[in-house]
Amino acid sequence: MKKKVEDIKINLSEALELPMDITLDLPKISLTGNREASIINHKGIIEYSDLMIRINSKIGIIKIIGYDLEIKNILMEEILVTGLIEKIEILS
Amino acid sequence: MLAIKIWNYLKGYVIIKIEGLSLERLLNLALTNDIYLWDVKRLNYFQVEANVSIKGLRDIEELVSKAGCKLTVLKNRGLPFLIEKIKHRKMFAAGFVAFFLLLIFLSSFIFKFEINGLEQTPKEEILELLEKNNINIGTLKRKISTEELELKILDEFNYFSFIEVQKKGVKLIIDVKEEPIPPERVDKSYPSNIIARKKGVIEKIVARNGTAVVKAGQIVQENQVLISGVIESESMGNYLVHADGDVLARTRYEANVEDQIVKKVEKETGKFMKQRGIKINNTGVKFIKDIPYESYKEIVREDELIDWDFLEIDFPIKLITYEYKETQITEVKQDIEFLKKSNQLKAIEKINEELFKEAKIASKNVIHSVEDNTLKTTVVIETIEEIGKQHIIK
Repeated sequence: MKKKVEDIKINLSEALELPMDITLDLPKISLTGNREASIINHKGIIEYSDLMIRINSKIGIIKIIGYDLEIKNILMEEILVTGLIEKIEILS
Repeated sequence: MLAIKIWNYLKGYVIIKIEGLSLERLLNLALTNDIYLWDVKRLNYFQVEANVSIKGLRDIEELVSKAGCKLTVLKNRGLPFLIEKIKHRKMFAAGFVAFFLLLIFLSSFIFKFEINGLEQTPKEEILELLEKNNINIGTLKRKISTEELELKILDEFNYFSFIEVQKKGVKLIIDVKEEPIPPERVDKSYPSNIIARKKGVIEKIVARNGTAVVKAGQIVQENQVLISGVIESESMGNYLVHADGDVLARTRYEANVEDQIVKKVEKETGKFMKQRGIKINNTGVKFIKDIPYESYKEIVREDELIDWDFLEIDFPIKLITYEYKETQITEVKQDIEFLKKSNQLKAIEKINEELFKEAKIASKNVIHSVEDNTLKTTVVIETIEEIGKQHIIK
């Protein structure tokens, strides 16, 4: 049942060309080079060290790997990570 | 980002260190409680450093104990803490205010006189006049009226052709320009030279006081010393006197006038054309149309789009009318003899303007030359006149 509702939502937002991050509550990850990553619509931090940051979201865990990672800003909606980013993985 | 940084600085923030094992949980708790954290740095496995606002600090302190961590405040940053600090240092704040008060107080006095442009008048005479009018070093600046002072100085020294008194900072600057000093005004107690007022050939030189350094027949340049106030004496060594004497020299005045023999005269034909434009502030927009005339005169008129005059507002949008009047150019040939005479008159008028009053005219020479379409007239007048001028030795 839940799967069906989800499918309808996806089809609807595609048909109406609505942004998915709003209609489906998906996280939006934007990168500025390899220096800065901003994750909007997250669900909290799971792990935080200067080599790896794991952030929870609706689609699973977003894993950022790099050097000298630092959380520049942390808000309800948005996390801004700076440092040298090497890899971003999504584990769903 | 800068705006946020300035805002944080104004509101004040603290740098905190949190120690514990469940740091991620604490960060998530802070998130859900709407506490804004920034520059979160992981120091090692059980330590984290972050910035938090003063208000957020109170909230996070509660959470810290809930999550089983330990919080220490490392540094206070921002304006509220700075003010708090200064509040305890009353003398510092007082000194700060006193500094500005002293600065304003001291800069309201005159500390120095600067007098420029004096050649024949000794500086002391002007200073004396200032003192007579109660203007000394240490007088309040606002008590001095520059216009009044200008009039007073002009009253006393009526041979000054220009005077300007200015108050600049702690200086009183007096700029003057002198005319030749009248003989009865010359203060003979000051040593001086007699220098040349203009270029010329010396005809006669009589030194009543001082040593004549030029001879008759010699060419002298402007500002060259003619009678020196330095007297060299074998018995007494060099000493300074007030030079006095007459120097007559042959000087030359020249004036050129050019005029065209065939003149072009513009005449309006009566045809004209209008074009409109708009000006916003000072940038104009013109609606371009081709101008059908070969030669024309342009007249630009500005009108207010809306008449705001009764409100005394200068409305920035203006209507511009360009009017082009067609003109026709005709050539008129002038009589050469008549032109020669009128040129000569014009040249003599020019010379008369700069001619010295007591000059005697020794010779006059008029040369006409025709080049293509122009008649060039050169008038040279030679005069014999007094060219000496007092110049104080400083």
